[in-house]
Amino acid sequence: MKYIQKLLFISLLLFITTNVFAQEPTETASALESTTEEIVATAQDIITSDVATNEEYVEEDIQFGESIKKFLKRSGIAQLGDHWKSIIMILISFLLFYLAIKKGYEPLLLLPIAFGMLLTNLPGAEMYHSEYFAEGHVHWDCFRNGAGLLDFLYLGVKLGIYPCLIFMGVGAMTDFGPLLANPKSLLLGAAAQLGIFVTYFCSIAMGFLPNEAASIAIIGGADGPTAIFLTSRLAPELLGPIAVAAYSYMALVPVIQPPIMRLLTTKKERKIQMVQLRSVSKTEKIIFPVMVTVVVSLLLPDATPLIGCLMFGNLLRECGVTDRLSKTVQNELMNITIIFLGTTVGATATADAFLNLQTLGILAVGIVAFALGSAGGVLLAKFMNLFLKNKINPLIGSAGVSAVPMAARVSQTVGQEENPRNFLLMHAMGPNVAGVIGSAVAAGIMLSMMGS
Amino acid sequence: MLLAINWGNAVIIAVLGISVVFCILIVLIGVISLFGKIMAPKIKVPKKEPVTANTTGNEKAKPDHEEVHIAGIETAAIATALHLYFNDVHDKESSVITIKSTERRYSPWNSKIYGLNNNLVRK
Repeated sequence: MKYIQKLLFISLLLFITTNVFAQEPTETASALESTTEEIVATAQDIITSDVATNEEYVEEDIQFGESIKKFLKRSGIAQLGDHWKSIIMILISFLLFYLAIKKGYEPLLLLPIAFGMLLTNLPGAEMYHSEYFAEGHVHWDCFRNGAGLLDFLYLGVKLGIYPCLIFMGVGAMTDFGPLLANPKSLLLGAAAQLGIFVTYFCSIAMGFLPNEAASIAIIGGADGPTAIFLTSRLAPELLGPIAVAAYSYMALVPVIQPPIMRLLTTKKERKIQMVQLRSVSKTEKIIFPVMVTVVVSLLLPDATPLIGCLMFGNLLRECGVTDRLSKTVQNELMNITIIFLGTTVGATATADAFLNLQTLGILAVGIVAFALGSAGGVLLAKFMNLFLKNKINPLIGSAGVSAVPMAARVSQTVGQEENPRNFLLMHAMGPNVAGVIGSAVAAGIMLSMMGS
Repeated sequence: MLLAINWGNAVIIAVLGISVVFCILIVLIGVISLFGKIMAPKIKVPKKEPVTANTTGNEKAKPDHEEVHIAGIETAAIATALHLYFNDVHDKESSVITIKSTERRYSPWNSKIYGLNNNLVRK
């Protein structure tokens, strides 16, 4: 056994030694020489480059006082003196914070808008550059040189992405059942768009250009995403004031609408009890979004982005097989989009764009548009009552301005003041959702007439 | 400034705009109504035949149907009843029996010491 082990060991030793000596000694030596030469060359290169950079770079002596001065000069506090308008804008953002947090005025949108306004007006922060989006188109080359966070997020507004995503969420959260049960309420939704077109006149008379007038007039639709969508296409420089006006007036629906409703209706009319709505089948609810998309898109292709997204969201809700998608669109997607949209729209409200007479004009005309829209719906409901067997309570006409579901709630509240047994909420939801379709159609018309 | 404005264009845009909004929504009303008539769920219940003196046994009653929806007030009453039933059920009583000990302050009038431990002593 030991003999065999010795034999194996000797054969292994022989194998190793023959293999080692079989290699060519000259090749190994040359390879070694070449690698050492290469290493030396690279080392020399590094040393020479280091010397070169050392020669070029001469570090300045840091003076303590000077560096403090430099730091203070670059701080926002020092720049506030040159940007006094920014201080006013920051104060306005604080006011919006107060309205959103303390008063609860549309906090989900007003708060991000206010914060965007604060960020964009902080001197030296350079979070948003309006010049990157000047002359109505995106200057992509500027993005390579350096852009702020809000510049990138604003692309969603500029390219019309956020309003459409929000419409998708609105569609997923809306029940079109009351509208399907009473299709006549679509007329009330159309009448409430009267404010948009009358305000267009007013804006033109005030000296606004037609594209600006159209963007301002859409405030009368009381539909924030539509207003942002249209303004970003027609008059992007007015986006800040228009968005703030639209959302502020939407938040003030319970304050603005009731006096108009009471003024235009009699006590007897406000007491009208409406007949029960018919029940709507699931098939109707599924076919409705597809049908509306096809009809409206064929008649008015410019309204397709908004109407298409609205109806897609609704189809996800009604079809019954995409619960996960429907929930995502209603919650996560909607919330993320609201954060991005609100912040970036607020960021467009720079001091130069906001603090001028134009903004005051927009705020004044905006409330006229809103009031006229509410009045239009109420008046058409009264007119329809002249011919209808089953009378409509005119209070539901004011819900024709979008502002879902707040406008419908206002109709319910005012109706119950006169007749506590009157339940108008579901009846008012018909014109309310019709108003969303109506304002999207109105935006499509404006876009088709004035868009490039 | 007002003279410089092209009012003709403004009128055309406004009138055309509101007209198109109405037209599109009227088209939608037509389509929705049509679909409603075809697809609306119809609850049919047999109509009660009025009993008349002239009715003979040979005449067969014609099955007449009418569409009936439950009235809103009835729906609300049913919903309220169900809500009350499911939220305020008293069929199952709590199985926890708790004997609360009542604290009595000492009084010679209710003291057992005088009543039990003191034997009667004949004097």
